[in-house]
Amino acid sequence: MNYPFWEVPVIGGGLVIGIIAILHIFVSHFAVGGGLFLPLTERKAYRENDPALLEYVKSHTKFFVLLTLVFGAVSGVGIWWAIGLVNPEATATLIHVFVWGWAIEWVFFLVEIAAAFVYYYGWDRLDPKTHLTVGWIYFGAAWFSLVVINGILTFMLTPGRWLETHTFAAAYFNPGMLPSCLTRTAVAVALAGVYALLTASAVRDVELRHKVIRYAAKWLLVGAFVIPLGGIWYMSTLPQLAREMTMGAAPAVTIFTALAVFFSLLVAVFTYFGPYLYPRYFNLTFAFLIAVLALATTGVTEWAREAVRKPFVIYNYMYSNTIRVNDLNRVRQQGILKSALWVRTHAVDPQNPSAAGEDIFRVECASCHSVNGYNSMRFAVKGWRRSMIDYQLQHLNELKGFMPPFVGTIEERQALALWLVNLNPELAPEPAYPAEKTGAAPPTNPGEPKP
Amino acid sequence: MNPLIPAPVPIPLPAPVWLLQSLSVFTFILHLLLMNCLVGGVVLLCLSAYRGRHDPQHRELVRRIAPVMPSVVSFTITFGVAPLLFLQLVYGQFFYTSSVLMAWGWLSVLCFLLIGYYGIYWFSFHQDELGSRQFWVILVTAAMFLAVMVLFSRNLSFMLHPADFYPRFLARGAGGFLAPPNPATWARLMHVFVSALGVAGLGLALLAGAWRRESADLAAWARRYGLRWFRTWIGVELLVGIWLLWRLPVEIRAQFLGADRLSTGILLLAVVMVVLAMWAAPKSLTVGAVALAGTLSLMAVIRQLVRVAYLRPYFDPHALPVQGQWVVFALFAILLVAGLATMGWMLYQLFRRAPAAGPSAP
Repeated sequence: MNYPFWEVPVIGGGLVIGIIAILHIFVSHFAVGGGLFLPLTERKAYRENDPALLEYVKSHTKFFVLLTLVFGAVSGVGIWWAIGLVNPEATATLIHVFVWGWAIEWVFFLVEIAAAFVYYYGWDRLDPKTHLTVGWIYFGAAWFSLVVINGILTFMLTPGRWLETHTFAAAYFNPGMLPSCLTRTAVAVALAGVYALLTASAVRDVELRHKVIRYAAKWLLVGAFVIPLGGIWYMSTLPQLAREMTMGAAPAVTIFTALAVFFSLLVAVFTYFGPYLYPRYFNLTFAFLIAVLALATTGVTEWAREAVRKPFVIYNYMYSNTIRVNDLNRVRQQGILKSALWVRTHAVDPQNPSAAGEDIFRVECASCHSVNGYNSMRFAVKGWRRSMIDYQLQHLNELKGFMPPFVGTIEERQALALWLVNLNPELAPEPAYPAEKTGAAPPTNPGEPKP
Repeated sequence: MNPLIPAPVPIPLPAPVWLLQSLSVFTFILHLLLMNCLVGGVVLLCLSAYRGRHDPQHRELVRRIAPVMPSVVSFTITFGVAPLLFLQLVYGQFFYTSSVLMAWGWLSVLCFLLIGYYGIYWFSFHQDELGSRQFWVILVTAAMFLAVMVLFSRNLSFMLHPADFYPRFLARGAGGFLAPPNPATWARLMHVFVSALGVAGLGLALLAGAWRRESADLAAWARRYGLRWFRTWIGVELLVGIWLLWRLPVEIRAQFLGADRLSTGILLLAVVMVVLAMWAAPKSLTVGAVALAGTLSLMAVIRQLVRVAYLRPYFDPHALPVQGQWVVFALFAILLVAGLATMGWMLYQLFRRAPAAGPSAP
């Protein structure tokens, strides 16, 4: 509302964030778990006096650096870029609440980068003790950077006492922070195993390959054992509506949540009966299959985590379309076209109400809906008459709990309904619109959070 | 038409504006030093890769510079995060708007960065195998980083022109590729680019010092070559600087030409420092490097003053409410010192030893 809206054709802005975020999470959790894997495996090689294993860790380091320092770092910046473009208001809010948190994360990230380089270039320069110390420094910095960013992420769904106190501590130590931290740490450990299976499968020395494959499988299984514990704990902290959405209230979210559980189980079962029990039959193709399944698990889990936050982007504070809960009544009174800055029409023109309708769509709906592509409005309203659309707009948050209420004047609502019905022009035009009192729409609908 | 400027976030700033702006400038200085080395470095590599086809000295130069570049890229990106964070906190309503209005271009920074970053790794890991393709790989890589530089320069320049926001929105909507130019666009871009060439020259001269033991001739030649780059391009930069000053709005230009003592003094000091750097570098690289770092630091301050001046008619960040989060800030400050010390310790451990045959069991 406060910023111009960037309309991404077909896929919508939300998916732009989603695609970057899922790929980033798949790599950045490896940056943490792999950071634990490297020094522990190096130490194992020293303790077992196994130079072949040490050589493997060296080659794994190169893979690790190339993936995490380049793709991990750039895609991490990428999420920041994307959320700033798709939802600047929410991004600005998060930065105001958490700027020192982000600054602290940046310090850990600096140390992480430096440690990764020194660890990589230090294989031939540092004595083993110093080299291992650098490895531990890397892991410490990487894990703390996860701890910091995790609190910011969970804040968006469970802002907890921040809504009343507006303090950093209340925002950061929100109800979802600890369980999510445990889950993400377990995911990091599991992903360390997933990636190690990939590099281990390419080892030529047969004996070493079997040893490392079985060892990597243990990492994955340990992570897979802890993830459900953290996940259940995390679910218990979710707002009621969010929890209900995963359990049937929103079919797509329920399906994705079920898929997350199913894919996770599949990865764990494949790993147990494959690389763990029978490492000699395991190969690179199988490792890729597990990696793809793990990526799919990450994708559906993160999608569901984002989806349950609807109708908010910051729970009970800001709706997905960036209208703050506190601003609802004001916007209702003065109208959305007068409240929003970046529109072409600032009032409904009785001669051309559809133009205002399109502007209102961009401001209120387009952050989740595209016109023809992802979550298409054209399909959503297909077959609906204008009166039906208008009725839905009046009760959006009651009919669909995961949608924000429509806010605006009666004329604006009707203009939006007209624009929406025109998306499917094949429908016969409806008779004259029923007379309704014009002006501000009725006050808050039931079910809205109290401003 | 009145410019459309989004309202600031209705949450108090977590620290006074002076502190946020100081941190923004301080962290930007670190980014600026590395960014200059990166942009100038890839151009220098490009040229040497081309000349290296027939000139063994340039070939050797490429062989020695390339392995340094991945870490330069990495730290350039990382040091760039903090100033952008503080910029978004104080001037977010301008920055986000300009970014959204050139959203495709701004998002494409990520692609260019990714290709450039992997390109530099590919180049540095596979120089020998690349053979004659070396030049093309580094040319594409350099083009990626130059594209990033152009997009950054255009966005950060566009955000200073809020009067252009709404006309741009009406004409093209959100999500364009490049922001519309303004009178200072090209001068600003050239100012960044030419400075990078000069700084990379001095960087090369400094780096050559580490090669003296292995190859005294190469080190001496590289030092001379680097210094020549430095003095030539910084000389050009002085002219570009005058051009940029004359492309600024008249009231901002006046601020640096006597109307404001502090701004004028800082600009004068920057000019004195850069002349000192050019004069001293051939005699003492250390003095030259310190003077150049001082110049860049002052230029970062000038950039901040220019930004404040551009946006003064529209917005005064000092009017925003402040509610200091001092405990978290103190934690950040302590961690920053501890983090820098840890980085220093690790780098010391790495560089105090010559490469060994390989690690052995403890």
